Amino acid sequence: MAAKRTAPPPPPPTPNPIPNRRALASGAGSASPSKRMLAFHFLRALSRISSATPVACRTRTIRRAAYFSMARAASPRRSWSRALLRQVRVRRAVRSRRAVLMRRRVVSAAPAPPLGVRSISAGQITSAPLAGAPPPRQAGEPARADALRRLVPGGGEMEYCSLLEETADYVRCLRAQVQLMQGLVDLFSGQ
Amino acid sequence: MSSRRSRASVSEEEINELISRLQTLLPSAPRRGSSSQASTTKLLKETCSYIKSLHREVDDLSDRLSDLMATMDHNSPGAEIIRSLLR
Repeated sequence: MAAKRTAPPPPPPTPNPIPNRRALASGAGSASPSKRMLAFHFLRALSRISSATPVACRTRTIRRAAYFSMARAASPRRSWSRALLRQVRVRRAVRSRRAVLMRRRVVSAAPAPPLGVRSISAGQITSAPLAGAPPPRQAGEPARADALRRLVPGGGEMEYCSLLEETADYVRCLRAQVQLMQGLVDLFSGQ
Repeated sequence: MSSRRSRASVSEEEINELISRLQTLLPSAPRRGSSSQASTTKLLKETCSYIKSLHREVDDLSDRLSDLMATMDHNSPGAEIIRSLLR
């Protein structure tokens, strides 16, 4: 426990966070009103993490919190946000089921969990490949669209046109999330 | 929720417009591209790599955040800032 006993020099109480907030607010007007929601969700998740998680899997938890707050802040009309939230729910159910299975496996030889489960628990946020459900191909859709479908959550089932829309929105939100996290890192490391 | 489209195929213009909108989002300079298949493919490829790089950045930033948070006390000024931002 390398806890520093000597308190670090306290930063100025209020003016420090305000430039950050103003930057967020000014960004909120231009791009989309969800930048503030993004900050709110992510910061709330972060504050919950700092009190309740062991250090080992903290990175994974933070990353999951990032995507989760991104999906929360986005409008639920967007199917990528719905797909992300669905993944989180599935992952939670899977984790609890896996815990039960692991306990059972110690006792008796239970069958191993299916492969799709393992790919989800490996921490990937991409859409799980649907076995036996080929994505609807449309006229003029290039072969590259398959790779894009794999990257965007929930992209395996969309039509080409909606895939493009969802991709644009996903890219915008991802960029906002990256900017937010970068701002937080700067804020913390500048103390 | 799943409303069936009456027309069988989406018009070419809409797709081109969506693609050009995607292009404005990408960090690379917008090319005066024709709506041929080749530039579309290249654009999709760029989008894929951009999304992948954004994912990598999120991973990297969350790694750094976790390091930073680890060196922080729970009642330290960092948590104070978070709380004040949330208010």
